[in-house]
Amino acid sequence: MYHNSSQKKYWTYDKEEDLDKLRLEANRKFCSKGLSSGKPGINESMFLNQQEEKVLFRHYEKRLLDFCTMFKPVMPKSGTACMYFRRFYLNNSLMEYHPRTIMLTCAYLSCKVDEFNVSSTQFVGNLQESQAGQERALEQILEYELLLIQQLNFHLVVHNPYRPLEGFLIDLKTRYPLLENPEMLRKSAEDFLNRAAMTDAGLLFSPSQIALTAVLNSAARAGLKMEAYLTECMGLKEDKETLSKMYESMRRMTGLIKAYELPKAEEVNTCKQKLERIHAEFATNLKRKHGYEDDDHVVKRQMVAEEEWTDEDLDAL
Amino acid sequence: MKLSLSRDAHRQAHLRYRLFQQISHFITVYFDPRSADLLPIKSNFRVQLFEDPAIDKEVEIRKKVLKIYNKRELDFSTLKEYNDYLEQVEDIVFNLTNNVDVERTKQIMEQYQRDNKDVIQRNKAKLTREQEELEELLLQEQQNSEQRRLETLQEEQRQLQAKRKNKQALLDELESSKLPAAVLLAQHKDRAAQLETQIEKQKQNVKPANIFSTGIMMPLFIDTYGPPVPELDQLGRLGYLNHVRTASPQDHAGGYTSGLACHRALQDAFSGLFPS
Repeated sequence: MYHNSSQKKYWTYDKEEDLDKLRLEANRKFCSKGLSSGKPGINESMFLNQQEEKVLFRHYEKRLLDFCTMFKPVMPKSGTACMYFRRFYLNNSLMEYHPRTIMLTCAYLSCKVDEFNVSSTQFVGNLQESQAGQERALEQILEYELLLIQQLNFHLVVHNPYRPLEGFLIDLKTRYPLLENPEMLRKSAEDFLNRAAMTDAGLLFSPSQIALTAVLNSAARAGLKMEAYLTECMGLKEDKETLSKMYESMRRMTGLIKAYELPKAEEVNTCKQKLERIHAEFATNLKRKHGYEDDDHVVKRQMVAEEEWTDEDLDAL
Repeated sequence: MKLSLSRDAHRQAHLRYRLFQQISHFITVYFDPRSADLLPIKSNFRVQLFEDPAIDKEVEIRKKVLKIYNKRELDFSTLKEYNDYLEQVEDIVFNLTNNVDVERTKQIMEQYQRDNKDVIQRNKAKLTREQEELEELLLQEQQNSEQRRLETLQEEQRQLQAKRKNKQALLDELESSKLPAAVLLAQHKDRAAQLETQIEKQKQNVKPANIFSTGIMMPLFIDTYGPPVPELDQLGRLGYLNHVRTASPQDHAGGYTSGLACHRALQDAFSGLFPS
């Protein structure tokens, strides 16, 4: 459950500033590594700054979401892939690991974790590429998979707000007769959740808080009042402090979502060019780095060698 | 005359040869001329428990070492001392398992045994006491479950008898009474229904007291940082199940009930709701 999950302990932060600090740190680390690599012609300006990384991140995140929506067979909507992508680039720079590969690896890993069984060939079959291109992509995905798991600190279970949303709708229907038809809130609440997935909301608030905000927001849009739900059904009538804190979180969250905008195409292209140049210059060959040299397993040697006995062997005795 | 053995016999001999090789760590064999067979010297023979014979050997050695090195954490004043002690034990086990410095290690063990004789005795006594207590609890639990079983059997017998008596009473009445058969049947059905509800009520009241076998008991309290979730068995009564998809017969056969999905959704909705 969420309350004793690794997500709550390690991947939920208090303020947006903390997240920005981490990303800045990742950016700085790569820049200093690049500058000190001693390669000729490297200067500060060829690296991406934090703003440019953000632009590219949003672009690739949108592509990840589109990839998951267009996936055949139909991938269940879970938000795990998006969360992996977000967590990975919290501590790593886009300049070090190319977002295109990481995004596919995130989708691949989330299929496994969500128990949505696709074979790897089926997975890359969804890419718009030639057979050879698909195979190359698959190789890259498999190379990056362990890296991704490691950078997620092996915390693979992600709690998403979709089930809490269901729970709230059930609860509203059962305990809150003031609202006649909670079902009508579903569509706009789900839309809110999809938009929240493209912000840092998942790293700052618990999934139940996000779902509750979605419900209240869509009710407010429909012009319905729902304060009584919090005061009466949740028992917060006496607890003014918690109530005000909850309203505060909801305000912050809605602010985050309103502030999101899809980056413009020209901006994306300039940043992409810079990115490609950096990757061409500092390509990190993972195969070499992580000791994947001997692909053959070290098979446990049998204690006694297997021997075939025939009649001829006995003749020798 | 050429002695030709079947392939199967070869296999058998080969397999026995392999088996003896594998457990050669533990047994010494001698060749018995009478049965033309390899027989183990019974003193060292042990049944192999693990697939990998090396592990089996280590387990045996570890048991022996721990019989001597049986100090507990509370025997030490600091954690570091305890960890050093544990490291010592591991070194000894390693040396003995891999035949490294066997003589010296055995000497160290003997020295330790001599120095700490009284501590070893004390800890041995403590261990046996704890084992006894555990055994007592287990025995008690066994007895209780046996009793419960007998009670349920008796209850079932009683119910069967009551039903039989009822049927007999009906037959008698049909014979002797002047009322029409339909009325008698209706009365009988009524009585049977009453009996059923009585039995149900009894079952509800006699909830067996939960006996925890380990003896430690505090209800576990987990903070969910959110409002309380109704219990799984209360969901129907509270009306939650009307708003969840009903489980089909196939679902029921698989053990799935609509309450499970409902409960999970509610738990997820309430978990971590209140900001800490």
